[in-house]
Amino acid sequence: MPLSVDERWDLIDKISKQTVTFGAYKHTLKDAIAELTVKPLTGIPVAIAVIYGFWSFFCDFAGTLFTDGFMVRLFDEHWLPWLQSVFPGGLGNPLYALMVDAGHIENGVLVASDTCFESFGVLTSGLFVPFGVVLWAVVAFYLMFAILEDVGYLPRLAVLVDTVLHKIGLHGYAIVPTFLSLGCNVPGVTAVRPLETRKQRFLMITLLAVFIPCGAQIGIMQDLVPELMGWIFLTLAIGYLGFGFILNKIVPGKSPEIIMDVPPYQMPMWRNIASKLWIRTSRFLLVAVPFVLLGCLIVGLMYLTGAMDWLAAVFGPLLMGWFGVPEETVAPLIAGFLRKDLAVGMIGGLMEQGIMTTFQVFTSVVLLCIYFPCLATFVMMLKEENWKEFLGSIASLVAMVFVYGGLIHLVGIMLGVA
Amino acid sequence: MKILLMGHPNVGKSVFFNRLTGAKVFESNYPGTTVDFMKGWMRIGGEDVELIDVPGTFSLEPKDKAEEVSVEMLEENQDSVVVCVLDASKVERGLYLALEIIEKGYPVIIALNMWDVAEDKNISIDAVKLERILGVPVVPTTAVSGEGFKELVSRVKDATPVKIELIVRSMGGGESAAVS
Amino acid sequence: MAKKLSEMNFDEEGTVKEIEEEFRKQIAGMGIRVGKKVRMATKQPIKGPVVVEVDKAITSLGLGVAAKIVVEEE
Repeated sequence: MPLSVDERWDLIDKISKQTVTFGAYKHTLKDAIAELTVKPLTGIPVAIAVIYGFWSFFCDFAGTLFTDGFMVRLFDEHWLPWLQSVFPGGLGNPLYALMVDAGHIENGVLVASDTCFESFGVLTSGLFVPFGVVLWAVVAFYLMFAILEDVGYLPRLAVLVDTVLHKIGLHGYAIVPTFLSLGCNVPGVTAVRPLETRKQRFLMITLLAVFIPCGAQIGIMQDLVPELMGWIFLTLAIGYLGFGFILNKIVPGKSPEIIMDVPPYQMPMWRNIASKLWIRTSRFLLVAVPFVLLGCLIVGLMYLTGAMDWLAAVFGPLLMGWFGVPEETVAPLIAGFLRKDLAVGMIGGLMEQGIMTTFQVFTSVVLLCIYFPCLATFVMMLKEENWKEFLGSIASLVAMVFVYGGLIHLVGIMLGVA
Repeated sequence: MKILLMGHPNVGKSVFFNRLTGAKVFESNYPGTTVDFMKGWMRIGGEDVELIDVPGTFSLEPKDKAEEVSVEMLEENQDSVVVCVLDASKVERGLYLALEIIEKGYPVIIALNMWDVAEDKNISIDAVKLERILGVPVVPTTAVSGEGFKELVSRVKDATPVKIELIVRSMGGGESAAVS
Repeated sequence: MAKKLSEMNFDEEGTVKEIEEEFRKQIAGMGIRVGKKVRMATKQPIKGPVVVEVDKAITSLGLGVAAKIVVEEE
């Protein structure tokens, strides 16, 4: 016979009286730190420092040390030239174009690519994007995230941002899926489950899918346009909060307040962190690599068959007129369905060909973040949401992309940079 | 036989899991959902027994989707022994979950984890007395350092189902005893 | 003197007298029950959440939830 809730607590009180004694206790240094990191006056500066440290490590470890210091050289100076010299066919050959280097037209002449961002072959860009750039970004991100998780810092961050997130119908806990999505949106979507109501989960999934770029994408962006990162993040944050505010008003349902355990700080256990890091990274590779290779192949085929030019001609006016980006952006937008990192890499290729202004680069990178979640995230959304919610997410997504994309263009025009 | 690892969120369950299992650990997908859980094997008395890390839950009355899955996983593995991991510095609320699992008739073994944290906070728990009252094995552990794990593993076999009425009676509960 | 938990100031202590039915079960899971001693650890500004300590464990509650808990101050 099961007990009622009150009977059970009653029993626990009796048991605890006989077995547990709370001794006199002085607050220790650990408690002092625990309290300082959750008090706004001291906690907010600490939070900023933690996030800054996180970002610096991400850039230094992944960007400077591995990607720029080693991988870019390996791929651009050795791998690409070597393949260009040994792969049968040569420039202009369809198989060569798909696998190694499609080249591009300069002054009416087809010329070979200098970098693995430009070449866009399955064996060049297809390997460079995941292994040369993204893997290191993802490892750096998950390492830091696992440490913050194990130390017990995240619940404190949640308390600090609760006030803001409550304004958009969520509560502090939403910082966990948001933060995790900066690594990969797929586990991010899964992490919305501890939010209590359907409304909150819907808001969270939709906002994640639209405004949170993943680690793979951030890694490539940081490599290509480090000087624009501040503006990109600011634009995305404004969109996240602004559209969150609007969605909160439109979507029916309840937004309960936070009720959350704040565990004590713990020394992280390295074995635990290593195991988390390994699981998350290997899962990333499993999802990402096939999609990147497939993406390269599909985009390559679309160029070869002329499908890309046709799409560019059809969507060009819309892209130019509404969003202010050149028709060539159609290719990265299509690749973005499969992998965002690959798509941003393609914008890098377009940049190197001198097709885009800085503002157009900025706009197209932001558009890539917001216009559509990658296929893997999309599948995850389908699993987590019911049909009505899923269609709602898609509808909100389309509306947000057009409104926000147009707005960015408009601001650009007013500032005279578009 | 399977062993389910259950407990509140943030009681050090994943560290616990890592300690109990060997290198052969993998992440599984709960059928029909996107919930992932860890699965591995632990050695008990020369035998490899499957160990499942059930996602953290506060109670068996789920308040969100994540907790719903934990309850389902418990119900789908009727023939399991449950290792209930409690935060020793928050015993009372941990006992709530442990009692719920005991009431459902599962053999339970209680790990009073984060024993070091409780000591730091000058909270002392009479584990022997608690074991006598509940009738299930109670072992203090510290997952981060590995303390208490040998004993925990050796005592899994002692876990047997306990009638909740017996616990209530031993605490002087029930209608008649409540007056005195 | 009885007052709402949400009205307590930093570092004040009191004993829980009453918790509104709606939240009772969930809050009990966090260790906050009638008869327990609470200490206000932090109040976040602009109607932000409160952070309270019960039995040396820390829990964060939205201000609206804290308003549903009555505390007797000593």
